[in-house]
Amino acid sequence: MGLAARQLEASGFATVVLTPTWEFHRLVGIPRSAAIAYPYGRPLGQVGDREGQRKVLRAALDLLETATAAGSVSHLPEEWPEAPRDTHWHPPEMSPIIEAHLEDIKKAARR
Amino acid sequence: MPHEQSMVDGYRFLPPGLAAWIKTFIPEEDFKGEIPFQPLTKPLGNCTVAAVTSAGISLCSDPPFDMDREKREPTWGDPTYRKIPETTAQDAIQVNHLHINPRYILEDINVMLPISHLRDFAGEGVIGKSAPTAYSFYGFQWERTDFLKEAIAPIAEQMRSEAVDAVIMTPA
Repeated sequence: MGLAARQLEASGFATVVLTPTWEFHRLVGIPRSAAIAYPYGRPLGQVGDREGQRKVLRAALDLLETATAAGSVSHLPEEWPEAPRDTHWHPPEMSPIIEAHLEDIKKAARR
Repeated sequence: MPHEQSMVDGYRFLPPGLAAWIKTFIPEEDFKGEIPFQPLTKPLGNCTVAAVTSAGISLCSDPPFDMDREKREPTWGDPTYRKIPETTAQDAIQVNHLHINPRYILEDINVMLPISHLRDFAGEGVIGKSAPTAYSFYGFQWERTDFLKEAIAPIAEQMRSEAVDAVIMTPA
């Protein structure tokens, strides 16, 4: 998403990336990031929580006006109501890239 | 008054092994290179805003994102994109993505692609207008960049034709 944001920004659009893992900015250089501590696949909020979703979207859009420099990261204060293991954000089947790198992942975990 | 922000831990929802592996790809220091930056040229309340996600959302009437090839070639991700009209009904979408659980988006597209909120915000004057078209591409691209040409360039072209000023982007 970071590369896409860079390309749109270079094409003349102001972008903000609402992201659960803002750290990717360090890898690719994202013009504006709104970091949110929500599970993958639900960056706006819980299913049916219109007010909560609106609040997050508004905070992300505000960054379009308040960010004055490239690479701005705003850390939103919202907290997800469930513990990470209870969020069930994972795909029903292990993704192909994870399956292909299981040994690397186990190795990284032991480090 | 600006207040002290506590930093989001972007690895919080990942199992420890996966978090440790992903950290091996991400530098500890801030990005040092050039970053493109297009400031807003008018107040947000006058801007046309579009939404873009990488969640593999498509209309049921369009071809789905290709999951079969990715299953055969784990470092390949579908480089194409789909248009999602801002008025799309909840039951008109499908989600094909091998890295998230698609069920929440199938229940409420606004958890990922906030099309109805943008329309509401336009009605309330928070933004000027919701762009007629939102977009989805497919977020898993590993080290490939052909999606920039196949998806992001034509998305930018359509955005220009719809006089878009600003974009809310939501990675899956």
